[in-house]
Amino acid sequence: MDYKSINFKCGIECHQQLETHKLFCKCQSIVNDASKPDIFFERKLHISAGELGTKDIAALHEIKKGKTFFYEACSISSCLLELDQEPPREVNQDALKASLEISLLLNAKIIPNIQFMRKVVLDGSNVSGFQRTALVATDGYIETSKGKVGIDVICLEEEAAKKINEDSNSTTYRLDRLGIPLVEIATGSSIKDPDHAKEVAGIIGMILRSTGKVKRGIGSIRQDINLSIQNKPRIELKGFQDLRSIPKVIENEISRILSLKEYQSEVRRVNQDLTTTFLRPMPGSSRMYPETDHKTITITKEMLNKIKIPELLTHKAMKLEKEFKINPDLALGMVEDEDYFRLLADRFKNIQPSIIIHSIVELPKEAKSRFNYSASNDEIESILELLNENKITKDAMIKILEDKSLGKELSIKNYRPVDDSTIKEEIKNIMASNKHLSPNALMGIIMSKYKGKIDGKKTMEYIKKFIPV
Amino acid sequence: MQYKIGDIIEIIAKGTNYIGKVMPNSTKETVFLKLKSGYNIGISKDEIKSIRLLNKAGKKDVNVQKKFEHKKGLPTIAILHTGGTLASRVDYETGAVSSRFKPEELIELFPEINEIANIKSVFISNMFSDQMVFNDYIKIAKAVLKEADSEGIKGIIIGHGTDTMHYTAAALSFMFEHIKIPVILVGSQRSSDRGSSDAPMNLICAIEFINKTSFHGIAICMHESHSDDACLILPGTKTRKIHTSRRDAFKAINDKPIARVNYKTRTVELFKKVEKEKPIHNILKPKLETKVGILKTYPNMSSSVIKAFKGYKGLVIEGTGLGHMPIAESNENKKIFNEIKKLIKSGCIVVMASQCIFGSVNMNVYSIGRDLLNLGVVPAEDMTAETAYIKLAWLLANYKRTQVKELITKNLRGEIKDRILPDEYLTTNDLDQRNA
Repeated sequence: MDYKSINFKCGIECHQQLETHKLFCKCQSIVNDASKPDIFFERKLHISAGELGTKDIAALHEIKKGKTFFYEACSISSCLLELDQEPPREVNQDALKASLEISLLLNAKIIPNIQFMRKVVLDGSNVSGFQRTALVATDGYIETSKGKVGIDVICLEEEAAKKINEDSNSTTYRLDRLGIPLVEIATGSSIKDPDHAKEVAGIIGMILRSTGKVKRGIGSIRQDINLSIQNKPRIELKGFQDLRSIPKVIENEISRILSLKEYQSEVRRVNQDLTTTFLRPMPGSSRMYPETDHKTITITKEMLNKIKIPELLTHKAMKLEKEFKINPDLALGMVEDEDYFRLLADRFKNIQPSIIIHSIVELPKEAKSRFNYSASNDEIESILELLNENKITKDAMIKILEDKSLGKELSIKNYRPVDDSTIKEEIKNIMASNKHLSPNALMGIIMSKYKGKIDGKKTMEYIKKFIPV
Repeated sequence: MQYKIGDIIEIIAKGTNYIGKVMPNSTKETVFLKLKSGYNIGISKDEIKSIRLLNKAGKKDVNVQKKFEHKKGLPTIAILHTGGTLASRVDYETGAVSSRFKPEELIELFPEINEIANIKSVFISNMFSDQMVFNDYIKIAKAVLKEADSEGIKGIIIGHGTDTMHYTAAALSFMFEHIKIPVILVGSQRSSDRGSSDAPMNLICAIEFINKTSFHGIAICMHESHSDDACLILPGTKTRKIHTSRRDAFKAINDKPIARVNYKTRTVELFKKVEKEKPIHNILKPKLETKVGILKTYPNMSSSVIKAFKGYKGLVIEGTGLGHMPIAESNENKKIFNEIKKLIKSGCIVVMASQCIFGSVNMNVYSIGRDLLNLGVVPAEDMTAETAYIKLAWLLANYKRTQVKELITKNLRGEIKDRILPDEYLTTNDLDQRNA
């Protein structure tokens, strides 16, 4: 599709949680707090019609519901502030510095005097009825394969509470997430096409992770995509599970829009099948007024001078790539755990670096998805130890994890490599009794007999020697 | 470049340009702008390269949309406005919070009240309660009397800052020897600009209590717990703010709440008997002696602090434990003893309350207490120091010295009780227990 001809306009908003305590109190930022809730209360949100005005459709949408909000919290991660029972403490300096560092990495201009605002939120996800948010920097950019993309705003704000239950009269929220520092990054609308959107999201994510100050794992970063074509009303897409799905979701959404005669500007949720469903009308411009309980923050030159700009992960990965002669994807996958990788590379000198990376990055994932087994670092290391001493083959590694998942008693002799002469003998024997086997069939027979004890690649080479192709 | 608050200007600074409306918190050093996105930012003037005026400030639209309707059959309640955050409204542009006290403005803020009452609103003052002086209490009391004496007023609500609301409640309790109608002080711990404000519920529960009971007298209505489920009606002379910020900051001290108003069901649960028989007249004695003070004692105290009360007619000492203070062992402590002695000799009435907050003073248990009694210090019994202070000021302004000494330990307005029951402590009506 020629995206220019349909006047494709697209921007991304990233929300990234920071790995620090909460923004306006000293509570730990424990997401999905595993403790049993020990604090319960309920509230109503009141907003008079006059305050609302008539234009704020999203706010009216919430108010019309007139809901009761039930809250539950754990004392380990929520204090009086989350309950809206005390004013904010001084802003978390680590979070503020992280937001400045991110702003500098995004080539943005830092606001000299930052003022926290109260952004009115009426769905109950903020107990106070507002979210504290501050504009930290504007006017930045990132370099992409298709040119510069502007970074219009960078904000530091409070994460909202997590909805855990909802019916027509009430909504229940858990407060562990409320108040975790979030950095919001919004690009301009100059993204060129769906693949470019994915690239931009990827670069922003990489830059954020380069600081080493952001949370990782499911839900720690969220991307919203703003989209319009042919100057039609804007659509906001929320809830991407995976960056890789971005291009397909955008393409599907464009087809959907093109099939409609008329529609309204709205917020839509991304479904698992990469289509979208209506979530709510597009909110009007946010009602914001100053957070009078917190002073304005002057960003001094001294403060900025103290900030060390971190090396980007992509730069670090390039160095790893050269040093260990590994492919770029592996290098980028490992770079955030570079120190750990170097430790293992030093300890297991007989193993190729790429195999070490594979076993710490991919092997645990494979064990999880195939056998639902969570392998610890220690387990992986002891397996690498065996491989390093040539006591097992590379292919035995996943077999060991499979046996562990089945609770089998582990005996090293089960994984001991079979020496080459035995394999060659075996190939000859099978060929002698069955002359018409294809190389692949032969391979299948041998692998099933010596699974985990022989190297597949090597075995194939032997077979090819015996059966000229 | 000249510009005013509300003007839209463009500033070029630090290699970028900012367009926004000039905010009132701008200073000599820093211009604060509201950007189109809604965010406010500040730019130091020495960093500004240039400023351009884009648009002059427009006129402010202050239209109140909703008209107040007088509804037949609904009781009329007078709402007296003294200040505080109960009825305030935020200007979303500037963030400035302004008070609302006209009936139509109150109804705009709290639309629901027009369904349960007709509102008559009276402006008294607009001040932080922590800045109040006795004259303010007298002004409030006279305004209360005026409404209580007029026809057809079912009850009075006083919108009040929370810091010293319990002092005002005590002052009105003593100044009104008789009052025919309920007078409920209502505050809020979260200003009414925010959706989560406790103001609407506190106000509505106070109105429901007035509408649904025959109570007459002075009380406070505030949240019972973290939740928006019930308010407590608390006794005017036996209540104190004991938390700086929680909605349920006010608790009955050595007493039960008068009632609980369930916000969901709008039912009133009475914990105390309400006298059916009402006084025929309202009687106000609006005088308070100003030469009265409170002194909190502490370890290593200097005798000089007692000297500061020279010339005072009354002093409430917030002593430790059962009613003690440093008067023995060290030389400085002995000096304190002598200073107290001098003060009492000079005619000052010295009353002993406890900084424990809960429980009664009992000065017969330890020798220090007995020594203080012998010196002429009067025990405040189970009164809070705040109530004892207001009572002393009121007695001194209305009675002879000998009568004051006698009346201070006698119950006049429910401020002294013979019996303190086990549940008249922090555990009373604790939400967490109800939820368990």
